[in-house]
Amino acid sequence: MKTCDITLFVNKENHSMTIPVNRTLLQVLRDDLGLMGTKYGCGTGECGSCTVLMDDKPILACLTLAALTSRKSLTTIEGLEEDGVLHPVQEAFIEKNAVQCGFCTPGMILKSTALLAKNSNPTEAEIKGHLEGNICRCTGYVKIIDAVQYASKQMNR
Amino acid sequence: MTSRILPQFELFMPESISQVVEHLKLYGKKAAVMAGGTDLMVRMKSGLFVEYVVSLQNVKGLNYVDYDETKGLSIGAMATLNQVLASRNVQDNYPALVQSAYENGTEQTRNVATVVGNILNASPAGDCACAILALGGYVTLQGPNGIRQVDIDDFWINYRETERKTDEIALEVVIPPARGCVSSFTALTRTRKDLAKINAAVAMSMKGRFCSKVRLALGAVAPTHIRLKKCEALLEGNEITDELIEKIVELVPTEINPINDVRSSAEYRKSVSGVLIKKVIKKALG
Repeated sequence: MKTCDITLFVNKENHSMTIPVNRTLLQVLRDDLGLMGTKYGCGTGECGSCTVLMDDKPILACLTLAALTSRKSLTTIEGLEEDGVLHPVQEAFIEKNAVQCGFCTPGMILKSTALLAKNSNPTEAEIKGHLEGNICRCTGYVKIIDAVQYASKQMNR
Repeated sequence: MTSRILPQFELFMPESISQVVEHLKLYGKKAAVMAGGTDLMVRMKSGLFVEYVVSLQNVKGLNYVDYDETKGLSIGAMATLNQVLASRNVQDNYPALVQSAYENGTEQTRNVATVVGNILNASPAGDCACAILALGGYVTLQGPNGIRQVDIDDFWINYRETERKTDEIALEVVIPPARGCVSSFTALTRTRKDLAKINAAVAMSMKGRFCSKVRLALGAVAPTHIRLKKCEALLEGNEITDELIEKIVELVPTEINPINDVRSSAEYRKSVSGVLIKKVIKKALG
């Protein structure tokens, strides 16, 4: 089959569509569903800009065939807010000014959310280790680490 | 250079091992088998053309990490690096595998990339592949004529070439029981989580300072990962002293034949190879 029918479950909504099998999840999210928050950086798994959560685990949308994600639970940056209220990690990135150009931010936030879900009080070393694979070319890492620590405190209150 | 656009192909999503073999029997010569896909997708975006992709994702029962005192550690074809890292048995018995699986990729990669895929990819820079060559074991293959086991020592034939026939699927890799064997892995990279310039692993059976059995593996110094047989012979049956380790440091470069590439020069690889082996031996001995 060069095309296939899939049902993507993105941000708690089902989307049924027919797609060419060589489309990446990144292409489908951005071009077909209009979810532009997931960024296209390197396209080869180096930069982490296209990070999304699949069954709550971070993966790279540029190296994932959309055809293989049918019926998995996908979360993009657009799906983190609930009823207009931002996720504590999003709030923390704003509070700590952890955003410069913003291109890496969706990936950084989703990756940090996944970290805090399994380790609510990570050390600085654990944060750095976990964020390996997400590159910020503005080199604003210090504030990103501040933001994750701040989010951790807010979420544990 | 990479176009970063996937060429057209047909995708098969079989649900059983026999269906996989059936597809590979018909299309194997023009097909690629996809487990996690993190290597294959990059290669396809960089010009590798395959007419068919056979995904293992929907095949039931391939994502196990099992330990048995007699058989050893069995890692199924779809078991991810993070699944291996989460296994208590791996943590307790195979430090080289833990260290290599962690260094092999970032969290996003470790969530989908597989250990068996790293072996089948047959890149001489593979991190898990290096550790598994040191730990020893075999790969189980299934094809139209049944199941066979290939010793890891014989598995890689050349750069990106393995013993797997085009109509076979690799079901699992099996590593022998640890039985008090110590091991370690390390890699030199440009930046963290980069492809290795050179990587090394060791597995040794020790009685005090006395080494009864050892396997030394080096990666990115030849078309495939290689064992350092002369060094192993020098270590086996001897007490591991600092003097002996220094002899090994001298001997390692004579056993390898590295190339110049984008990640390193042959000269650099030769000059650090001995030090790297010293480092893994000391790390394994603790």
